Amino acid sequence: MLLSVKSKNFSARIDRYGRVDFPLFAVTSGLLLFGILMVYSASSYNAEINYGNEFFFVYKQVFGVIAGIAVMLVMTFFDYRKLIKARYIALGVSILLLVLVLIPGIGVENYGARRWLNLGFITLQASEVAKLGYVIFASAYTSKNYKKMTTIRGILPLIAVGGIICILTLLEPSMSVTMCIAFVIIAMLVIGGMRFRHLICMILPLALAVILLIIIEPYRMNRLMAFLDPWASPLEEGYQLLQSFYAIGSGGFFGVGLFNSRQKFLFLPFAESDFIFSVIGEELGLLGCLCVILAFCFMIYRLVTIARQASDRFGCYLASGMAVLVGVQVLINIAVVTGSIPPTGIPLPFVSSGSSAIIVFCAGIGISESVRLRSHASVRALL
Amino acid sequence: MQENNSITKLRKRLLIVFISITFLFCLLGVRLFYLQIIEYDFLSSKATNQWYRELPLTAPRGIIYDDKGEVLAGNQSVYTVYVRPNAVTEKTRVTELLSSVLGLKADTVSEKISQKRSEVTIARNISPETAKKIIHADEKGVYCSSGYKRFYPRGNMLSKVLGFTNVDNVGQNGLEGYYDKYLSGTDGYAYTETDIAGREVNDGSTKYVPAISGCDMSLTINANIQSFAESAIVEASLEWGAKSCSAIVMDMTGGIKAMASYPSYDLNDIPRDDIDLLNMLSKNQLITDVYEPGSTFKIFTTSAGLTHGVCSDSSRYYCSGKHVVDGQRIKCWRTIGHGSQSLAEGVKNSCNVVFMNLALSMGKKKFYDTLSAFGFGAKTGVDFFGESAGIMMKEENIKNVDLARIGFGQAVAVTPLQLINGVCSAVNGGKLYEPYFLSAVKSPEGNVIYNHEPKIKSNPITEDVSAKLRELLVGVVEEGGGSKAKVEGIKVGGKTGTAQKYENGSIASGKYVSSFVGFAPADNPKYAVLFIVDEPSGYTYYGSLTAAPYAGKIISRIADYEKWERRIEQAEYVDMPDVTGLDMTEAVALLEKLGLKVETVGWGEVQSTTPPYGERIRIGEVILVRGKEDDNS
Repeated sequence: MLLSVKSKNFSARIDRYGRVDFPLFAVTSGLLLFGILMVYSASSYNAEINYGNEFFFVYKQVFGVIAGIAVMLVMTFFDYRKLIKARYIALGVSILLLVLVLIPGIGVENYGARRWLNLGFITLQASEVAKLGYVIFASAYTSKNYKKMTTIRGILPLIAVGGIICILTLLEPSMSVTMCIAFVIIAMLVIGGMRFRHLICMILPLALAVILLIIIEPYRMNRLMAFLDPWASPLEEGYQLLQSFYAIGSGGFFGVGLFNSRQKFLFLPFAESDFIFSVIGEELGLLGCLCVILAFCFMIYRLVTIARQASDRFGCYLASGMAVLVGVQVLINIAVVTGSIPPTGIPLPFVSSGSSAIIVFCAGIGISESVRLRSHASVRALL
Repeated sequence: MQENNSITKLRKRLLIVFISITFLFCLLGVRLFYLQIIEYDFLSSKATNQWYRELPLTAPRGIIYDDKGEVLAGNQSVYTVYVRPNAVTEKTRVTELLSSVLGLKADTVSEKISQKRSEVTIARNISPETAKKIIHADEKGVYCSSGYKRFYPRGNMLSKVLGFTNVDNVGQNGLEGYYDKYLSGTDGYAYTETDIAGREVNDGSTKYVPAISGCDMSLTINANIQSFAESAIVEASLEWGAKSCSAIVMDMTGGIKAMASYPSYDLNDIPRDDIDLLNMLSKNQLITDVYEPGSTFKIFTTSAGLTHGVCSDSSRYYCSGKHVVDGQRIKCWRTIGHGSQSLAEGVKNSCNVVFMNLALSMGKKKFYDTLSAFGFGAKTGVDFFGESAGIMMKEENIKNVDLARIGFGQAVAVTPLQLINGVCSAVNGGKLYEPYFLSAVKSPEGNVIYNHEPKIKSNPITEDVSAKLRELLVGVVEEGGGSKAKVEGIKVGGKTGTAQKYENGSIASGKYVSSFVGFAPADNPKYAVLFIVDEPSGYTYYGSLTAAPYAGKIISRIADYEKWERRIEQAEYVDMPDVTGLDMTEAVALLEKLGLKVETVGWGEVQSTTPPYGERIRIGEVILVRGKEDDNS
C-alpha cells in the first residue's frame, strides 16, 4: 500500500522523506581512493617499463574515479523511478553494446577476447554496462509483475533476457562475466520471489551447461586442471595462480608494507587490474585483506538496508540488485586470486583499474542513493 | 494481507541473500588465513626464490700441504665475466669493451649479448688485471664474479697422486677427488633483487651469504723427497729408455713420503681435450695396477721360511742351475748354477732354487698364511681411488709347481704399493701398517678436525725374524746383487728383482720389469724405497743394474736432506816400517805403537813381514810377523 506512494512536491519534502546514505558514500569514496593508491603501487613499475610513465595507469584511474563520482552524484539526484520507464532502453542499450563488441572492427580485441568498445576518451567494457542494465530491467519487471513471480510464466521473461545476455558475453568470450551475470540473475529471481523448486530446476541445467562449456573449450579444461594443481605447470597454466599465491602468501599477517610488493615487478600478471587483490594481500597482509572485505561487506549491508527501507518495490529491487552485483563480483574476484575457484578475469569493483567498471559501479551506488533519498520516513519505520 | 505477506517474504529473501554473501566472504577469509598465515613460510620462500638473481661467490678450495707445510695445491684468484642481456643499455660499447679486453671476436660477443637468456657467460678464468679493466668500465649489464682456480705450484710433481679438479673446482681424481668432501668449500651467494626479466630493482640492493672455504689438508708426502724421487725417475727413464719409471718412498708406519711416476703431466695444463691421454697419464698405476714382482718377492719367502722354521743360518742349499718340481724343470736365473750355498748366500745370489726349496718345504698353507699377513691378495686400504688387491692364486688350486714359482716371485701379482708396504713390515720389526697420504685436516677456522694415527693391520713376522731379514738384506747390498744401491756411509738393505712381463697370458720376450726395493738406515730403518723401471730397452735390464743405482741415489739425497750421520771410516795409512833384523819383541812393540795388530809366527830375529816393508797400509790392519827361530825349536 504505502510502497506505491507517489509524491508530488518531492523536493520540498526531501527532509521528511530521507537523506543520502553518508556511510555508503564514505565507503564508496574510501574504496575508490584506496583503489587509486593500490593501482599506483601495483602498476608503477610496469607503467615505467612499458609506457615510460609510472603514473600511466594512475592517470586513467583518476579519470575513471572522477567520472565515476560525477555519475554517482548525477544518479543520486536523478529520480530512480524514471528508470522504470527506461527499462527497455537500458536493456536495449546493453544488448546493443554486447552485440557491437562482437563485430570485428568495432570491438577491441585484447588477450584473445572481444570485450571492449573504444569510444576515444574511454574504452568501454560492454558487459559492465549490461550487468547494470539487466539489474534495472529485472527490477522494473519484477516490481510490475511481483505477483506472477511464483509462476514459471512470470519468471520466464527474466530468464530469457538473462540468457541472451549470458550467451552474448560467452561469445566474447568472457566466462567470468557470464558467471557473474548468471549469479545476478539467480539472485534477482530469488529476491523477486521465485519458488525454490523452480530455482533448482533452473540451476541443474545451468550446471550441466557449465560442464559442457568446459569440455568444448580445451583451454578452460587446462585452466581447471591448473586450478586443481597449479604446481604441475608452474610456467604455463599454473603460472598466474602461483604468482598470485606467492604475492598473497608473502604478505603474512601485516604484509610487507605499502609500495613494497615484489610481485609487482612483472611477476604477477594484471597486478593493477584483475589481480590487484593479490598485491593488497602482499603489501597489507591478512589484516589489509580483511579490512577490504569488511569494507565491501559494509557496503553490501548499506545497500541491503536501503533496499529494505525503499519506498517502492522498484527501489528495493534496484538497491538489492546492486548489493548482489557488488557482492558477486567481489566474491568471484577474491575467490579467483586466492585459488578458490578456477582463474578467470574479473576486476575488483571500485579498486581495480578500469574506468568503465568504476563508472558503472558508481552509477549503481548513485541509483541506490537515489532510492535512499526518496524513501519515505514512514516507510522506513514500517519496514 | 497478501501484500504484507509478500513484503515479509521479500525481507526474508533479502536476508537470505545478504547472509549467503556474508557467509561466502567468511569462507574467503578462511582461505586467506590459510594462504597468508599457514602457508606463509612455504609461499614466501618460494616467492623469494624468484625475486633474487643469485650470483655465486665461489668458495676457495682447501689447500693441500706437504708434511712440512709447503703448498702442493693452492688457489688462484680468477674472474668470470658474464652479461645479463636485459640489463645492457649500451650494446655497441659493451661489445667493443668485451671484445677488446678479452680478445674475442666482436661478432661472437654481440651474438652472445643479444641472446634471449637472463644470463650469458662470456669468459671464465680471467686474470684479476683483465677483470679490473672490465669492472672499471662500469657498463650496465656486464658483471665480473670472482672465483678461484686450482693452482699447483710444482706443476708436474706428484700429479698422479694429487689429481685434479674439473672447471667447476670439483675434485675429479687422485686426492682432489678422494678428499673432495674436505677440500670443497660451500659457495656463497650474492643475491640481487631483480624483476622477472632480470633487471635490477630497488637500486640493485644486494644481500650476501659468504662462502665457506674448504678444509686444508696436510699430506705425508714430503716435497723434497718427492722431488728426489721425481728427478731419479726422469733420469732413469732417459738412461734406460724405459717405457716408464716410478718410485715410492714410505716411512715405517705407512706414511707415503713420495710417489712418483714418469711420464707424467702438468697439473696446471691438463690435456682435458684428449680423454684417452688424460686417462692414461692420470692413472696412478702404483696403486691401481699389478705387476709380477720377481725376486723382490723373495723377501717374503725368506720371512715365511724363517717364521715357520724351515731355514736357519746353518741351512745349506745346492743349486745346479735348475730344480725339478713334480717332473717339471724350473731354471735358476744363473743356468750354470750357484753350487752349495748358505741361506745368506742364497739371498745374496738371489738363487731361485733356494726359494723354491723354502716354499716347497713350508707348504702352501704356511706360506700363504704369512703372505696374507703381509697384506698380499687384499687391498692395503690406502686413501686413494681404484686400489687393486693384487692377484694371488686360490690356495686350493695351487700345485707344487706354482708354489715353487711363487717362492721366487712368479705366478703372483702385486701392486707396487703392496710390495713396499710389505717390505716395510718385514724390516720394521714385523708390523704391517695401513699406508696413507692424509695426515691431518684443518678446518677453515684452524681447528684440526682429523689427525691420522698409524694403523697396524697385522703382525706377519716377529721382531727377531725382522732383524734377521735386515741382516740378510744388508748382505744383498753390501756383497750381493744390490751393490749398486750402496750409499757411502749409510747402511742400506734391499733386494733387486727382474721379472719378465706377460702380455695376453704369455711371456713377452725382451720386456722386463726391473725393480729394487731397499731401506735405510738398515739397523733402524726410517724409509723404504721402491724403484721400478718398466721395460728398460736393450740388454741392461737387471734390476741390480737399472733400478738399484737410482734407489741408492734417492736414499743418498734423503740422507743429505735429513742430515743423517754418515759413518765414513777415516782411513789412516802408515808406511810399513822395516822391522826385519829386529828382535821379535822389539818389532811387535814398534808395530803396535803404529796402531797395527800383530800376529806372530816363530820368535827371535824378525825374518819377514806380510805385508812387506814399504807398503802403505791402513791403521788397524793385521800384520803377520815371522821370526827366524821356529816355534818348535
